[in-house]
Amino acid sequence: MNDRQLAEAFVELADTLVDDFDVVDFLHQVTVRCAQVLGVSAAGVLLTDQRGTLQVVAASTEQTRLLELLQLQTDQGPCPECFLTGRPIAVADLATAASRWPRFAAQAVKIGFASVHALPMRLRTDVIGALNLFGNQPGALDPDIIQLGQALADVATIGLLQARAIHQRDALAEQLQTALNSRVIIEQAKGVIAERRHLDMDQSFTLLRSTARTTNRRLSDLARAVVDRSETL
Amino acid sequence: MASPTVRDTVHATDRVAGELEEWQLTFGEGPCLDAFTGGGPVLVVDLRAPESAARWPVFAPAALDSGARAVFALPLQVGAIRVGVLDLYRTRAGGLSPHELADALAFADAAGMLLLDAGAGTQPDTADLAWQRDDPTAHQAQVHQATGMILVQLGISAEAAFARLRAYAYAHDRRLGDLARDVVERRLRFPPDPPPGGPDEP
Repeated sequence: MNDRQLAEAFVELADTLVDDFDVVDFLHQVTVRCAQVLGVSAAGVLLTDQRGTLQVVAASTEQTRLLELLQLQTDQGPCPECFLTGRPIAVADLATAASRWPRFAAQAVKIGFASVHALPMRLRTDVIGALNLFGNQPGALDPDIIQLGQALADVATIGLLQARAIHQRDALAEQLQTALNSRVIIEQAKGVIAERRHLDMDQSFTLLRSTARTTNRRLSDLARAVVDRSETL
Repeated sequence: MASPTVRDTVHATDRVAGELEEWQLTFGEGPCLDAFTGGGPVLVVDLRAPESAARWPVFAPAALDSGARAVFALPLQVGAIRVGVLDLYRTRAGGLSPHELADALAFADAAGMLLLDAGAGTQPDTADLAWQRDDPTAHQAQVHQATGMILVQLGISAEAAFARLRAYAYAHDRRLGDLARDVVERRLRFPPDPPPGGPDEP
């Protein structure tokens, strides 16, 4: 990571926070930037569904196995623990976490990860989710990298709130639920594209996202049109 | 309110609730319509607040006249599948507590599933609902990916595809996520061939 990359990352993210941007696309960008500037292999964002469960909303790579690993954390893992306590969780070596989170640790190691960090997404007194950082080498992240990661987690939280003009104090609940449902629309659209074009889910997401970019459309709007079949990709 | 094409009130618990629906259908504006088009809840903690009057100039005063002070509209949806909106109202101003919100969202989930089954022509089945509520795999990404694949395979709507997936899981006593994985990994197509080897044969 260098200062220029870092500055670029924040400028790019700030640039995204324009009127009517797509929250899921934005959170995806945050995770991609996390992986780049923090020097981790992969990053993911989980948000509370306000019914007591965390849901995956974005991941730096759409690699299905990574999504599954994140999903597994709806039961156990560093993310729920970070969410419940509101504190960062650092696991420098996943080999030592087998008794703490047996299924999560085994699955993470199987995919090739050796360390994991979870940072809370906090809004005043509420914790609304967590940012996960996975490394393929054992080792704790430096404190200044953690701090930077927390800054990116805060940017993600702000993005969520910025998504629409805030009319009243329950806007957070509105944004969270909308973001979670947008994620579901994108998964449905990936299925449609994968089946039609004989692609895998990662390729389908890439096609969906690049089409949204080049045609200057919101990712979730295009995804909805694909599922409704008012548009064909 | 239910159905993307025909907007109508399915059920109202009392006079005020009925009137709220009526105002929105008549005036073509209101939290319920915004929740439906926006794909997220619209939680109006005070209809008397200036923001409410600015957002719904006709609906807000009418709703206040009917006796409502706060309105909470929760979409009944699974991704792009929209089956309706659950509208709740309160006679005093104020938001839902986190606990109340969680309950309301859970009710909306259950109502959405029942409407989905009814719309797909399957008999709404509360045992089926309870079974899927307890299924930890029901929210996995692959469930939604599989829905997208099935809708292409059968040339049907997302709504019908999701109903088919759930019905198949229930009938074969399989967890939704496990079945969806078979679809995503292309081990199972809809409609499945009925070979002697069983439903999971390629």
